Amino acid sequence: MPLPRLGDSTGTVMKNLTSRLAAALAAGLIVLAFAPVLAGDAPGKVYGQGLSGGETVAISQLLAHPDKWIGKTVRVEGTITGVCEKRGCWITIASDKEFEDLRIKVDDGAIVFPAEAKGRYAVAEGVFTKIEMSLEQTRRYKQHHAEEHGEEFDPASVTEPMVFYQIKGTGAVIRD
Amino acid sequence: MASDDGRRRGLPWRRWNNILHRDLGYFCVALTIIYAISGIAVNHVHQWNPNYRFERVTRHFEAIPVSDRETMVAALVGALGLPGPPRRSFRPSPEQVLLFYDGWNVEAHATEGRAIIERPRDRWLLRDMNFLHLNHGKGLWTWFADAYAAALLLLAITGMLVLRGGQGLAGRGKWFVLAGTVVPLLFLLFQRYL
Repeated sequence: MPLPRLGDSTGTVMKNLTSRLAAALAAGLIVLAFAPVLAGDAPGKVYGQGLSGGETVAISQLLAHPDKWIGKTVRVEGTITGVCEKRGCWITIASDKEFEDLRIKVDDGAIVFPAEAKGRYAVAEGVFTKIEMSLEQTRRYKQHHAEEHGEEFDPASVTEPMVFYQIKGTGAVIRD
Repeated sequence: MASDDGRRRGLPWRRWNNILHRDLGYFCVALTIIYAISGIAVNHVHQWNPNYRFERVTRHFEAIPVSDRETMVAALVGALGLPGPPRRSFRPSPEQVLLFYDGWNVEAHATEGRAIIERPRDRWLLRDMNFLHLNHGKGLWTWFADAYAAALLLLAITGMLVLRGGQGLAGRGKWFVLAGTVVPLLFLLFQRYL
């Protein structure tokens, strides 16, 4: 059978090809549209791997005895007090104790937390980690923090390297 | 005769190539535009926020003394004329109070009498484009994006073979292909290996 000429819109092969492309597109869109239904009825929006069902540890406990928890997978929950503005690559969760919060850091792009999550309630899981900065890193970190908050900063005021703790996040559920 | 036969034998694959190139091109138009615009937007993430613009208004009020959180929150709601109590609140330090409302929040420094009211707004259309381009949705979109990438690969290959002769790959086309290959190689050479 001779092939239809290029541009011959009445050609049978062309019709079939176009129809198949349209059908594939339509099927894909239908599947995508129903994906949330197929994914199940989670209480809140699930990010990353979600939650594995482990026990929740109070943030105050983690920060009071950090060495006990380093390297362990933990689950924490509380109000989201901050969100990475540009990449959504971290959130901070309020501790059960005043003036404390804990950062949940995720790999860029692995999970993207939306800016509007601030003030919502999160349950997050990951590995509790100790971060030891050099003096230079500490100065850069504090300078960046001061710039973000419109505060003055003198690098000479930083004389000690910073040590802080965070969770390398693998999953979270955020709800109202 | 031999030459005619050869041309007849050579026609089908190029016709198929051109049909594939043309229709894949049509199919990929929307996503290519989305990926291109989003690509430029996220390339400059250090200079701007490609997803949101933050409306921030600084307000001043009469300083509020440090006390317990509930008292300070109630005092700030009154001092700033906020529309009722917040959904949640947090104190990062004794003097600072964060008040969270639906879609906006207040960061107040009680003893300095200064507050920043912040409201993130989506960048119209761009956030949706970034959502697709950066595969924030994961799941089935990953497969669709893979299929799109495969389609782009086919577009590139079939694109080189659309024309023949002086305008085709054997003619001027090869120089453009060469130039397009050399440019990224030069960047690699100077930025990574030298």
